[in-house]
Amino acid sequence: MTQRYGDIAFEDRMSQVDFRVAGNAHIVVDTDVCRSCTTKACVHACPAKLFVPTDDGGILFNYEQCFECGTCYLVCDGGNAISWSYPDGGQGVVFRHG
Amino acid sequence: MRDRAGPAAEAVTVRRPEAADFDAVVVGAGPAGSAAALELARAGHSVALVERGPFPGSKNVYGGVVYGRILDELIPDWYERMPVQRWITRRQTMLLSGDRSLTVDFRSQNWGRAPYNGATTYRAEFDSWLAGHARAAGAVLVPSTVATALLRTADGQVVGVRTDRPDGDLTARVVIACDGVNSFLGKQAGLHPDEQAAHTTLGVKETLALPRETIEERFGVTGTDGVDIEILGGTSGVPGGGFLYTNRDTVSVGLVLGLPGLAKAGLRPEEILAELKQHPSVRPLVRGAEVVEYSAHLIPEGGYRSMPRLGGNGLLLAGDSAAMCLAAGIWLEGVNFALGSGMYAGRAAANGLRSGGPAVLGEYRRLLEKSFVLADHKKLRDAPGLVLSERVQHRYPGLVCDLAEGMFTVDNPRPKPGLRRLLRRAARHNGVRMRELARDALTGLRSFG
Amino acid sequence: MADLGDLADPLVVVALRWADARARVDPLTGEVGTDPRGAGPGEADRCALEHGLRIAGATGARCAAVTLAPPPAEEMLRDALACGADEVLRVDVAPEDPRLPDSGAATARALARSIRAELGDPGLLLTGDHSADRGTGATPAFLAAELGCAQALGLVELSLVDGRLAGLRRLDRGRRERLAIPVPAVCSVEPAGVRLRRAGLPGTLRAREAVIPAIPAIPVASGQTGAEPPSVRAARPYRPRAKELPAPQGDDPRLRLLRLTGAHEEREPPRVVVTEDPAEAADELLAFLRDRGYLP
Ligand SMILES: Cc1cc2nc3c(=O)[nH]c(=O)nc-3n(C[C@H](O)[C@H](O)[C@H](O)COP(=O)(O)OP(=O)(O)OC[C@H]3O[C@@H](n4cnc5c(N)ncnc54)[C@H](O)[C@@H]3O)c2cc1C
Ligand code: SF4
Ligand code: SF4
Repeated sequence: MTQRYGDIAFEDRMSQVDFRVAGNAHIVVDTDVCRSCTTKACVHACPAKLFVPTDDGGILFNYEQCFECGTCYLVCDGGNAISWSYPDGGQGVVFRHG
Repeated sequence: MRDRAGPAAEAVTVRRPEAADFDAVVVGAGPAGSAAALELARAGHSVALVERGPFPGSKNVYGGVVYGRILDELIPDWYERMPVQRWITRRQTMLLSGDRSLTVDFRSQNWGRAPYNGATTYRAEFDSWLAGHARAAGAVLVPSTVATALLRTADGQVVGVRTDRPDGDLTARVVIACDGVNSFLGKQAGLHPDEQAAHTTLGVKETLALPRETIEERFGVTGTDGVDIEILGGTSGVPGGGFLYTNRDTVSVGLVLGLPGLAKAGLRPEEILAELKQHPSVRPLVRGAEVVEYSAHLIPEGGYRSMPRLGGNGLLLAGDSAAMCLAAGIWLEGVNFALGSGMYAGRAAANGLRSGGPAVLGEYRRLLEKSFVLADHKKLRDAPGLVLSERVQHRYPGLVCDLAEGMFTVDNPRPKPGLRRLLRRAARHNGVRMRELARDALTGLRSFG
Repeated sequence: MADLGDLADPLVVVALRWADARARVDPLTGEVGTDPRGAGPGEADRCALEHGLRIAGATGARCAAVTLAPPPAEEMLRDALACGADEVLRVDVAPEDPRLPDSGAATARALARSIRAELGDPGLLLTGDHSADRGTGATPAFLAAELGCAQALGLVELSLVDGRLAGLRRLDRGRRERLAIPVPAVCSVEPAGVRLRRAGLPGTLRAREAVIPAIPAIPVASGQTGAEPPSVRAARPYRPRAKELPAPQGDDPRLRLLRLTGAHEEREPPRVVVTEDPAEAADELLAFLRDRGYLP
């Protein structure tokens, strides 16, 4: 797909969203499982672009700007690669225009 | 992560509490949960309404239109008090194929007057407003609190929920899980069928700021009137659809994308959205607008056929947690179904509490079947499959646009072709067999007709 | 030096600032749009509350949370109650003067009077170092002046050592200053070191039902203009003074002009060096710096 002039950078897009970042990660990805994953479906499907492939075939995951949608654990191929949960009450994303 | 709310969490076995903290615990202060809590509190029962966000609506995303007719039963003069962005007086369905489009456009000023039809509103405002009614009726809203697990006795009766706060067990005589599409509580009770991913779509949305006058000019409305546009096609080949709604000073544009298709396509949601915004029929509407929020949320899209069991043993499911969302082509409705099912769940639970018996599930089902909630879903049970089918997604928009193009192209000196010939030609061109077309038309007629 | 525990009715007050950290500014009108649902205490205020709860707990003092804010701020006070505050108090914002909460001195005056009248004289008053909506951090100093007590501002640590308050403050160049803080005192803390505890469920349920006391703001008479923010009478774009340059020497006006434009000056054009070898790149950089006299 062509990246067209005029659409905002992904970081700017995310900076419009209010995240109350918790001290502990609510989602943990086991990069050892990811190394043997062939689809890497999470990389494209996560709307917050939080799954970054590393050059050793694994996945680098940051939990801070997560929408808590659940897409990743539903599309994940590697069975138990993702330990998924909601952040503690009151933490995480806060939508104002949802 | 087993002690946190997620797919791995399990119900906790406890002894039956001697006295419950509340008559009822409702999990999730979305439209379903607030309606249930409101109904229970009005019937004089003590209710706790547990919400994981700092305020109701803070975790919730939808396209933008609430069809509020069912609120007549809950809050009689709702349309005078609800926080409304714009009243929908114009509905469009847009079929996109390549850079062509065909739009069906309907306008009724009746919808801009009491008792109204539908309105755009932000969930932060709408959900907070509704939860405010539940609070005013006596329900206790417990925000910033995640229900992590069901509390169950050894014989399987649900007697409350565990929350993520210290000393967080909350006991009740009945639990209503309105915890939305991921419904980990429903899954803990084993009510959900497997294969959730196949029946789930991802919704992504951009809220775009535009000056009020610009919105009114571009969408042809004035005052508090607004427009609702459903879009078929324009998803770069991923099964799904799009939407475009007007708010007072923003427009919401978004996509609904089937998870299996998205996972396979190797395209990113915001890139597909950027592509949609570039379509010649969409671009003039959103040009120059500034993104004020980007958001995402899942939608249970399977309809009647993918619904879980609706409860049992002191637990009821309502709203998205019971997959009661109608997302099929020209419809994108869930809030009204959540309101309806939440209200009936609350009513059934209140009746059960009054008579002291736990047999609420049967009554809940009866109430749902008598109302639009299950009637609509039963009628439209084949619609999700049809709308997400390869033919509707890829071939029919092309066919319809070919047809329109054939009819409207002036090709003098050749005589105008007949409609039947155009249809046959368009069908052949788009790889649609007439037999399939007839069958889909029949399914469509049975569902939508 | 008195200990907090020695006071007759020891009272720890935490003053919380209710603000929306994600306010939007309209680029055309400059109007600030805030959302009461998204508003709450800043991280520094939350740390102040945690310090207050700990110190009150250790000394047997009452702990009260106070705010000068409109009614939606009740939710913030409920959270404070749920976390263990014994009392809360909301001082209403005088509706006729929206600037009041933003003027540190007036905020301090309204708070100090309300606290004295409703709760008593505090042995310790805690605040965040500055408010989340770009405050100056002056309010705690004004509070100390109003209450006539000691002040220790911008603390990164606050603890009780043998019943005495001890604070730690940052100085320039990474140095630290240790303070022995007498009571009564006003302390403001940076968002550091502690995190506000998570309220338990029973406390939360109680707090959800509690009645939040509110009192009207004590109006500030217009004579007391110390609190008024300075008014701006005229605003102009920033126009720095023109810089004087010596005129070029020489007889020929054309040459003088050329020299002014710098057209015939000899200079080295910028180069882009592309190399795979890091060592070579480093050499190149070092040579350049040496050439320019940055390195010996
Ligand atoms: C992109 C998109 C567009 C849509 N467009 C429309 C539309 O235009 N019109 C329409 O009518 N519908 C639309 N829908 C569907 C609609 O949003 C849902 O059907 C509706 O919100 C369902 O309401 P609910 O109360 O069942 O669930 P939700 O609104 O999801 O509410 C669930 C609540 O439970 C809380 N919760 C979840 N788990 C826990 C837990 N463990 N503990 C405590 N709290 C918890 C959540 O924070 C949330 O507040 C759309 C959906 C999406 C995603
Ligand atoms: S899909 Fe699952 S297993 Fe594969 S890379 Fe992503 S997280 Fe890892
Ligand atoms: S929950 Fe959604 S936003 Fe968060 S990591 Fe998973 S896919 Fe991405």
